[in-house]
Amino acid sequence: MTLPPVVRLVARNFVANLDPITLLVMFGQPAFLIVILGTMFDQLIPSVGASGSYVAFLVPGMIASQMITGAVLAGRIFWLDRRWSMVEQLFSGPFERAEYLAALLVTALLFSLVGVGIMVLVALPLIGVPGLSAAEILVVLATIGLGSLFFGGILIALGSRIRSANLYFTIQSVLQYFLIFISTVYYPVSAKTPEALRIIVYGNPLTYAANTVRDAFTHSFGPGDLVAGAILSALAVVAFALAVLGFRRLELGPVQ
Amino acid sequence: MVIRVDRLGFAYTPDRFAVRNLEFEVGRGEVFGLLGRNGAGKTTTVRLLTTLLPPTEGTAYLWGKELRACGRAERARMGVVLQSESLDFVTVERNLTLYAFLWGVPREAAKSRAEEMLALFELDGVRDRKPWALSGGERRRFQVARELMHEMELLFLDEPTVGLDALTRQRILGYLAARARDGLSIVFTTHLLQEADQLCHRIGVMQDGRLRAHGPPAEIKRRYRGARSVEAEFERPLTPSEVAELRSTLEREGRELRLVTLELGTLVFQAANAEDLVATLARWAHARGVDLERISVREATLEEAFVTLVSEEAPSPPVGAGAGR
Repeated sequence: MTLPPVVRLVARNFVANLDPITLLVMFGQPAFLIVILGTMFDQLIPSVGASGSYVAFLVPGMIASQMITGAVLAGRIFWLDRRWSMVEQLFSGPFERAEYLAALLVTALLFSLVGVGIMVLVALPLIGVPGLSAAEILVVLATIGLGSLFFGGILIALGSRIRSANLYFTIQSVLQYFLIFISTVYYPVSAKTPEALRIIVYGNPLTYAANTVRDAFTHSFGPGDLVAGAILSALAVVAFALAVLGFRRLELGPVQ
Repeated sequence: MVIRVDRLGFAYTPDRFAVRNLEFEVGRGEVFGLLGRNGAGKTTTVRLLTTLLPPTEGTAYLWGKELRACGRAERARMGVVLQSESLDFVTVERNLTLYAFLWGVPREAAKSRAEEMLALFELDGVRDRKPWALSGGERRRFQVARELMHEMELLFLDEPTVGLDALTRQRILGYLAARARDGLSIVFTTHLLQEADQLCHRIGVMQDGRLRAHGPPAEIKRRYRGARSVEAEFERPLTPSEVAELRSTLEREGRELRLVTLELGTLVFQAANAEDLVATLARWAHARGVDLERISVREATLEEAFVTLVSEEAPSPPVGAGAGR
């Protein structure tokens, strides 16, 4: 029995693009941050809102940031496929553009979920087993899914327009660090936060995702999370539309 | 008919055509060669026929289906070796089996096919290397080997033998010829005219995005180069008046005569009635008291026909240019 095209492409994305070094860097870095940053700042920061300890605050944020890790991987696969002409090769074979795009987004989602699992495992010795209800787990997964779709869509849309590897990877790195640092992944936003910074932080979709995951971990869902979910859903739809548009206009041929 | 191309064209902008007004057909088990200089439009033609580019004028039919309506079902029946190298970041062997997996080839069949391809394309010794660590020739062999991992009825090969040594080229051409005998249709672009002559049942010569001629290689050679090529070497350089006289003598009798060069005592021309002209040439030399050191008559090559064809609009080198130097 032949597997559906999207499944074959997703399997290929994982087999062909995941070398141990890439995995170590992409998952090792956030895991390292949970252990080192969590342990060190835990001594300095006595308590952070409903989370309690700093490490308990940090872990949900790092979990939310995995949506960017998955998106970055999907963007990287897409770019390397363009650079090494695999996009053309696959499009000249039994695959449609929509299937390739879907496979990239599914890869981003699966990779994000693997990252979530790894972050939870790394955090276990620090915060214990998070006692999430089924609904809370679902909300976390849905948030990660929407976030992966949003960030993956944005990076794929960018990758479809840019014809220079240097430019693409520079934009991706800047975007990645900007989004993670100007969000509530590492620190909370409070009344003391400068207003300009607060506006930027709340303009960042990762903030909504981090807050929602954090609320799941502290069993404190509120109307704000519904708004956050709605905003993230709308942004995911827009990013997906941009990615589709990028694919429809994708110019095949050499890139640098 | 596997491919029928009907006034096919592609323009980047309304006044900038890459290919225009193409018309040719490819039958089952036929090898069709596309020849042309760099930028002639060969690769664009392949990209159009493999649905990578949408035509901007005319159309083509793949197995009777209009090109714009062709999709997965038609692409699943074809293989494509693009000019640009494509690879996945795994070993050569894994690339082969992974590609087969993408095409839905069952695992066991893929493994045995991979062994066959590794042996056929002499990649056995590099099976555990990553493709980017291969030499240029090995990478090209890898590209062709990988595409042959799945079944197909139509194969597009865009300059598949670039960078290959003569022995490997011969083996690959032999394999492709055998596959064509089994019914595989092949569209083949190349700069190596000798291999097109050897492999292709019919060829199309492209220039500036247009198909200047197409037909069996022998016909192209005959039509565009005359049946024979003659090379004569005189004992001494001819004087300008001798050159003028010889030229008018040959032109009076020559059918489809094309003088290639006449300088430093060497004359090269092609003509349909080359043997007759050799006799005329000998008589003229005898009458003028000029000894002929050497004279040879041979079949025109496809390369000569190609050069004639693509330079047809350029003025022929003036006969006698440089004579007496």
